[in-house]
Amino acid sequence: MSGSSAPINWTPMIVGFAAGLLARMISLRSGRSHYPGYPSGYISQVALAVIAAMIGSSVLPALIGKQFTAATFLTLAATQFRDVRTTERQTLEQEEKLILVSRGPGYIEGIAITYEARNYLSMLVALLTSTVTEFGGLVVGLIGGVIILIIGEIFMSGKHLEDVIDVQPAKIWFDKGSLLYAGEVMMMEVGLPHSRERYEKEGLAVVLTPKNERGQAVLWNISQRQAIAYEAATAVGVQKDVGYPEQTPLCRMAMPQGTGKAGLSILPVERDMNKLIHAIKRTPVLESSKWTRITSPVLNREEM
Amino acid sequence: MADAPTPVMFAIVTTKKDSVSGGMAPIFIAEDEQERERIAMWLTRITNAIVHDLHNGTFILTVNQGG
Repeated sequence: MSGSSAPINWTPMIVGFAAGLLARMISLRSGRSHYPGYPSGYISQVALAVIAAMIGSSVLPALIGKQFTAATFLTLAATQFRDVRTTERQTLEQEEKLILVSRGPGYIEGIAITYEARNYLSMLVALLTSTVTEFGGLVVGLIGGVIILIIGEIFMSGKHLEDVIDVQPAKIWFDKGSLLYAGEVMMMEVGLPHSRERYEKEGLAVVLTPKNERGQAVLWNISQRQAIAYEAATAVGVQKDVGYPEQTPLCRMAMPQGTGKAGLSILPVERDMNKLIHAIKRTPVLESSKWTRITSPVLNREEM
Repeated sequence: MADAPTPVMFAIVTTKKDSVSGGMAPIFIAEDEQERERIAMWLTRITNAIVHDLHNGTFILTVNQGG
């Protein structure tokens, strides 16, 4: 290390930092995962974003200034973000036991991965933007930063259920006295007449029809269906409490037939079909339900 | 695992005591259908067990293990 260092060019660092921070801020809306909801949750996310953006934006200037030790330390700091995923997962898993409709392990993992990845994205955006600014000047850097931000956002936005699945309203009815049906899909057995009455009077149901093979694979995933039920319940509410297990919203496949369709039954607080359908359509497609070729040919049976 | 339940027999409520016997679950014998429904509802509210109607005069209550 030489004692004298070249004058520091602050511009790439500042532009890179701003872009990196912005990359995280854009995605910091509680929206679909209903987390974070409170300022304390936001603060920790913002603090992490600041650190991530700073790491990303200062790597290049450190290398240019031949401060290799500093650059190495920055990559060390980056590994700290691995904990983000674990922390998110733990928080959501703790909550799982005390919410009436659980998110399901797949959804929780998805949210946790997203949180982790967002910080890395922030870091990458900061790094790329600072690089562009360093070699192209302020104006090119600003324009480049915006483009990188947009690319990052497109890259990070996952699919929603409406891309692969068609959602239609369905009728709730009972077969053989106690089997609850959502359209043509058998949901469950409701033994108590009191609950059956309530379902017939106040229940809502939809049928989910896959648009393609991918949609079929998505629906056959249990975690994905739990996520759908969770989103449905958060949108229209659910008449349920401890001791009312038969009033849990369910999302089940059309089972003896195996047509690949699924039904969803719910006892909503707010009886609003449009809201329910919208919420289901906006449910993210989980990573764990990604299409696998092994399962799909079997599911191509239209009827049985 | 909330979404892959393993049901375990918890109780049996029946009006036809000859149609069930033995097993791991207690059997509640009801006088008539109304009482059967009342017992079943109370049991489900208290224990969070799920009521199923076998349509032969018997209700069974199951609990999801680990759920």
